[in-house]
Amino acid sequence: MGYTITEKILARAADQESVRAGDEIMAKPDFVLAYDFPGYTDVYFKQMKEEFGIEKVAEPERFGIFIDHMVPVASPKEEELHKGTRAWCAENDVPLYERKGIGHQVAAEVGYATPGAFVVHFDGHISQLGTFGTLAIGLRRNILEAFVREKVSIKVPETVRVNLHGKLKPGVMARDVFHHIVRILGPSSCRFQVLEIGGDGLEDLSIEGIQSITCLAMFTGALTAIVNPANERLEYASSRARKELEPVSSDPDATYSAVHDIALDDLEPLVVIPPTPANSRNLSEYVGLDVHSGYLGSCASGRLEDIEVAARILEGRQVKSGFMLHVIPTSHEIMAEAGRRGYLSTLAEAGAYLSTSSCDFCYGRIATMTEGQRAVSTGTLNVKGRMGSPDSEIYLCNAATVAASAIEGCIADPRAYL
Amino acid sequence: MALKNLRGRIAFIFEDDDFDVDQIVGVKNIKIQDLDELAGLAMTTYDPEFGSKVQPGDLIVGGHNFGFGHPHYPPMKALRHLGITGVVAESFSPGYWRGEISMGFPQISCPGIRAFVDRWDEIEVDWEAGIVRNISRGTDIAFEPLALADRAMLEAGGLLEYLKANTEENTQ
Repeated sequence: MGYTITEKILARAADQESVRAGDEIMAKPDFVLAYDFPGYTDVYFKQMKEEFGIEKVAEPERFGIFIDHMVPVASPKEEELHKGTRAWCAENDVPLYERKGIGHQVAAEVGYATPGAFVVHFDGHISQLGTFGTLAIGLRRNILEAFVREKVSIKVPETVRVNLHGKLKPGVMARDVFHHIVRILGPSSCRFQVLEIGGDGLEDLSIEGIQSITCLAMFTGALTAIVNPANERLEYASSRARKELEPVSSDPDATYSAVHDIALDDLEPLVVIPPTPANSRNLSEYVGLDVHSGYLGSCASGRLEDIEVAARILEGRQVKSGFMLHVIPTSHEIMAEAGRRGYLSTLAEAGAYLSTSSCDFCYGRIATMTEGQRAVSTGTLNVKGRMGSPDSEIYLCNAATVAASAIEGCIADPRAYL
Repeated sequence: MALKNLRGRIAFIFEDDDFDVDQIVGVKNIKIQDLDELAGLAMTTYDPEFGSKVQPGDLIVGGHNFGFGHPHYPPMKALRHLGITGVVAESFSPGYWRGEISMGFPQISCPGIRAFVDRWDEIEVDWEAGIVRNISRGTDIAFEPLALADRAMLEAGGLLEYLKANTEENTQ
């Protein structure tokens, strides 16, 4: 029997001939990534010194730190955190990426998404590096293991394979593909496993669209998501890779715990109603529901194709009076390109509020909602209180739906504008 | 080091699948750090007298994919402060699982547990035998074995203690 891409990557990282799902191994991450956040990095940096006597990491090139939350800061305390992070990175010669964008996207831009690499972070949305054939797993606090040891303990996960077929219709986007996967497979379908995406339908999706899907893998219960590296995805990642590794792919006879097929042609725009990412519904059932704000951004969405569709919909139109539309490109690289292509001026003229990249809109640190307010959002999550008051609501949807809803002031079907 | 068997009553059964643990203290209280204050708020929407009924050693039971969503640490800190010693559920969401195991808080994945117990039954989690005993009913049910690293982490009392106990492997 053949091996999955996950088994191949972990075998190399564990320095073993081969490993199989279920094996408990010690694997050396090629890269250890984190963004600074109170209670996480500040604590690890302190514990490394005080509890483990580690003054300096042995292989600084294996690490990467991002400052993307609390950007820009709103209090001296927040700035103190960032200052500590900058100092730690300088002392340890560890690369720091600040004011470049949301770390999970920047990680791909600066080459941590090396095909064949094993990457760990504390945050599970790092799964999006799987777009490039990188196995990237969010370990929560167990990331400390990767800060104080060369290897981390891991049980080789099984894999659920989802094959996409065909093409999406206009107004239906990669976000809808992910929310459809949750809808038909269920929010625990891939628990403790890897969600491997394949099929001819992949070629209809952009790199950005696949990043949206792999970013959200955790809401199927998956540890991460991965795609065999090929074509433009392999080109993108290989040209930026930080490490020379042989890209690997799943064998045709690899063992999967389940295989699902999804026809992209059949999909409609979806909306995920509060209070859980498990609640995928047809958008058509919610058209007309009053909304007060719209968020187009996050590590899941907010890339060029998202901004492009919003600009196309809003061109020559205006955001409805009283509606607050926030458009935050996922990275500076994306923002600059959106500027060159004229999307940003279209959106500004339509009345959108534009901001340079930051994670802060996604979790309600800024653009905070009060009681009774409701947002349409391309953010990652719709749990209670995520964007402000526990009595506000978040409807997750694709970028086109956010733009159409901004015009109407209520949940709107973008297909009428495309 | 062996894990000590857990023995206590089932203080509550969360029947719902995909349960979001933040609901235990309520999202609006999720940033509270004071344990007495958090414990006073915990479970009050499910049972206003929970705090006075619960006893040290009690456990709670959950459904499938327990801990789904975006779990924070305060709810389980509050339950531990009230004396809860572990969670037995049909299955767990990986993020929640990792987070609580790293806190040294026993989590037991036990398919069939909801039908196997009633609230306030007394149970024992027997780590060596790999079973949950319902002392009140005189029955037992197998649970899924822990991964070696998870077990070692629980034995050590949490992530930090686990990593400190094996310093020869700390090679940074």
